[in-house]
Amino acid sequence: MKIDCTIDGKTLTLSLNSDKPLSLILRENMGEDSALNHCSGRMCGLCTVLVDGKAMLACMVPAFEIRGRNVTTFASFRKTRNMKDIEKAYESVGRYPCSECFPSRSLIFESLIDEGITDPEEILKEFTIVKCPCMDPDDAVNIVRRGIEIRRKRNVRRPQLT
Amino acid sequence: MYEGLSSPNIHTPSNLSEYASTILHYPSSTLWAGGTFIMTRPEAYPSRTMNAEIIYLGNIEELHRFQRNDRSAEFGAMVTLDGILSTGKAVLPRVLIDNIQTIGSRLITRRATVGGTISTKDFTTSFPGTLITLDASAEVRFIRKRRLHSRWMPITRLLDKAGRIAIPQQGMISRVRIAFTDKNCQYFDEVGSFMLDPENSVAAAFTATLDQDILINPKIAFTYPTHGVCYSRDIDSIFSSLRFPLDDAEFSTLEQMIFTFVESSFQDISPLQRTRTSGIIRKIVDDLNEKALTISPESR
Repeated sequence: MKIDCTIDGKTLTLSLNSDKPLSLILRENMGEDSALNHCSGRMCGLCTVLVDGKAMLACMVPAFEIRGRNVTTFASFRKTRNMKDIEKAYESVGRYPCSECFPSRSLIFESLIDEGITDPEEILKEFTIVKCPCMDPDDAVNIVRRGIEIRRKRNVRRPQLT
Repeated sequence: MYEGLSSPNIHTPSNLSEYASTILHYPSSTLWAGGTFIMTRPEAYPSRTMNAEIIYLGNIEELHRFQRNDRSAEFGAMVTLDGILSTGKAVLPRVLIDNIQTIGSRLITRRATVGGTISTKDFTTSFPGTLITLDASAEVRFIRKRRLHSRWMPITRLLDKAGRIAIPQQGMISRVRIAFTDKNCQYFDEVGSFMLDPENSVAAAFTATLDQDILINPKIAFTYPTHGVCYSRDIDSIFSSLRFPLDDAEFSTLEQMIFTFVESSFQDISPLQRTRTSGIIRKIVDDLNEKALTISPESR
């Protein structure tokens, strides 16, 4: 099956098995093996990607569902200004995720910051998918809140002087 | 890897009449809603048992609708669980919201759909049990005489003798109607992980109105993922006959009666499931006892 999609900003036409999980597509067809783990649906949470800007588990997305959609992996996301905001938030709170869950947590943080979610319950619920115990729940909430502040400041346009 | 294996054909009908013609052409095809259950099976890819034809329901516009009036809410089968929370959190019954929230991260609930959670094959999620306690009904679409028919049925009538949701061959659930309820006792609990440890997990949903010390219209459903939903009017009537608070002896009798019924339906539930079921019953009764005791004696 031929599938047209955009992965990390590149428009591609891939010839794939139609039910192949996105996590395997990224590993085998795209050579993206940095942080993606094919856990056979055990929901380890480490294969998080952004599909049209929303965090999703790549092992749950079949190939036919990415047709015409925009997939962003951590490999390309780390170079964006949005990632710099998240890094600033990590620095500000003084907590960083461990190297294993850094990509997936960062993408989930991005999804939460983008939606502007500040409710601690919702934030913690979102992180239940990542089993790694490297980060305190309070720190995760603070990072999201700080990230939203940083993003707002960046997005505020300075008034133009005439 | 596995690229040499035959790739399933994906059909993407954009409305129900296209769905009807597709299912008539490919009667043994697999219906694909959110895919959360199918994709989390270890044998999901490369699948040896997967049918060669898949009908993806995500493009059918009718299945994404959400309607609400004063008395009930109607969800299309492809409305996601996250969609239910965002559209009806303020008005929908507490037990339903609790059920969705226990499923976990929005990474899952954003993909899991109403129809998919009811109609999973060889597996029962906690959702049908909750819908049963809420007297929900579902619109079932099925093919008869080469035409697509629809029929509203209470979820209880979709349960077969084994406690599984049974949908007619070539049929699907297109809408689910949930009535708003003012029952003052609503309880949902899931112990263990349905997806990761289905052999040992159990869920229970309970709704009732506690009026002074008796329960009016109580409904309780236990769900064992690998067995099915255990629901009976007999258990409901046992609860109706009780006067709260219950003492330990009354509780033991109630527990025994419930287990007699559960074990007559599902003979081989695991010891851990049994213990967990017992714990859930204890929690429900404790909650009811507490509520019954907080009612002032004058109002009794």
